[in-house]
Amino acid sequence: MKRASSIGAGWRGLVQVFLLGLIFVSILPLYNVVAASFKSTDEFVVNPFFPPLAPTLENYVYAAVGARLLHYAVNSLILVPLGVVLYLVVCVSAGYAFGKMRFRLRLPLFLVVLFLLIFPQLLLATQIYRLISLMHLANTAAGVVLSWGAYFSPFGTYIMTTYFAAMPYELVEAARMDGASHPRILVQVMTPLAAPMVATLGIIGFQSMWNELPFSLLILQDQGSRTLTLGIAMARGEYGVRVPILSAAVVIGMVVPLVFFLVFQRRITLGATAGALKG
Amino acid sequence: MRHRSLERDGRAPFLFLAPLFVLLCAFILFPVIMNMVVSFADWKGYGRLKWIGLSNYRAMMHDGAFWTSLWNTASLVCYIPVSVAVTVFVAALLREGLGGWKVYRAILYVPNLLGLVIIGAVFSIYLRDDGPLNLALKWATGSTLPFLTSPVLAINSIGMIKVIWVHLGFGLIYFLAAMNGIDQGVYEAAIIDGAGFFRTLRHITVPSIRFAIEFWVVFNFVEVFSRMFSLIYTLTRGGPAYATFTLEYGIFVQAFEKFHTGYSGAWSVVLFLFCAVISIAQIRLMRQGRA
Repeated sequence: MKRASSIGAGWRGLVQVFLLGLIFVSILPLYNVVAASFKSTDEFVVNPFFPPLAPTLENYVYAAVGARLLHYAVNSLILVPLGVVLYLVVCVSAGYAFGKMRFRLRLPLFLVVLFLLIFPQLLLATQIYRLISLMHLANTAAGVVLSWGAYFSPFGTYIMTTYFAAMPYELVEAARMDGASHPRILVQVMTPLAAPMVATLGIIGFQSMWNELPFSLLILQDQGSRTLTLGIAMARGEYGVRVPILSAAVVIGMVVPLVFFLVFQRRITLGATAGALKG
Repeated sequence: MRHRSLERDGRAPFLFLAPLFVLLCAFILFPVIMNMVVSFADWKGYGRLKWIGLSNYRAMMHDGAFWTSLWNTASLVCYIPVSVAVTVFVAALLREGLGGWKVYRAILYVPNLLGLVIIGAVFSIYLRDDGPLNLALKWATGSTLPFLTSPVLAINSIGMIKVIWVHLGFGLIYFLAAMNGIDQGVYEAAIIDGAGFFRTLRHITVPSIRFAIEFWVVFNFVEVFSRMFSLIYTLTRGGPAYATFTLEYGIFVQAFEKFHTGYSGAWSVVLFLFCAVISIAQIRLMRQGRA
């Protein structure tokens, strides 16, 4: 059944034109990058706008191998999942404590977590860099994974706390009656029941860490340890003015987030409304 | 109900919270406090601290880059009402259920997925003086616009990129979910009474999603004060000169390019104060809402 619409029939066409225009404006920059990435440097000079006449993969080869983006992508594919695992363990455990346990200081500690939710990374970066250096974790997976886990955990804790708090308390009580300890209740009862939210949070964490720049920029200064996002951020200066190569680098950077979106589209859409404050 | 408070869970909760609080203390609380401490010192980020009282703050008051950063932040704040208006308007159009609205929503969400670094890189190409947009402008009007190289335009380009490419797609999903909660019958009654799009928008939609709008405003403030670095770094590197500096970017330059870590601490304290206010506003909203 069609919804009643407050837009008169005469206006509907105009609205469609407006929306298509908006889509056009929003897609055009992306189209341009994709088109440029398949053009040779010579072709780009004479044909900066239209689809490539003689498509070539040379930019991709240069960006992936010569500029080591493939290597950086592998780094990202190792670092980000590690970060997500740490993030989920920390947030699910803390979310359970805040959402389903009774203790003194529950509210004040939760307010501290909420207070720390939005601090800019650059506010922390100087001291984190120093801390990481002191612990000899510069250029290591541990250094960047710990910083990511810490920085994004207030948001994840908030999400898990509200989710656990909304689940019936009887679940915990019944398991307590059966003599189950809190760790057992969390692992065997509550986490399986909260699986949809844990999965959504894992996806949000993956996206946040995959796209993260400031901490990786400061902690992973050794070229070989760069993430893909960091590699692309540095590319601008390094390849000078060769737009086609930079474009190929950007397109390579789009692949994983887009594949991720196509696979998890529904969950990502739901996750976006789970909290308006993702990091 | 008093006796219930006796059934506390003892120490167990603190074990569950330990990983979180160890990380928070080491990576968030300690850095924030240390920034305040070093703001009273001359320090390069390593070696000895030399206490210099308020000199860093005095220097900041006379630093043009600091005032430019505040001014730029204010310019970006001006885009918040624009973002609210554009996002709510487009969401209200999509709510009408015109053909293909789900496809529109999905396509408009794509830039959002790609993250600020990719978006910054895309626009650093697109908006160059000899980039595609300027080539098209030159063909159409005969002249070009220095989107990223003029001090006045550059910060506004960043503001527009935030509104249309970074936030629109996410905002549409957020507001459409909020609008979904409105009783369809209210609209039907209004339409029978002859109310058009703008009247239903003004008298039904906007009042019903007031809470979502407030949240969106606070979220945008967070974005302006704490989530601009990646975009600025990939788009303009703070330039031309200081024209796209924000407090965040200034801290980066002072601490990691000029090694004036003590001085960057003074900028950090200012940024912290802004963020503390935003954080408190956000907590109040969250507690009104669901948490």
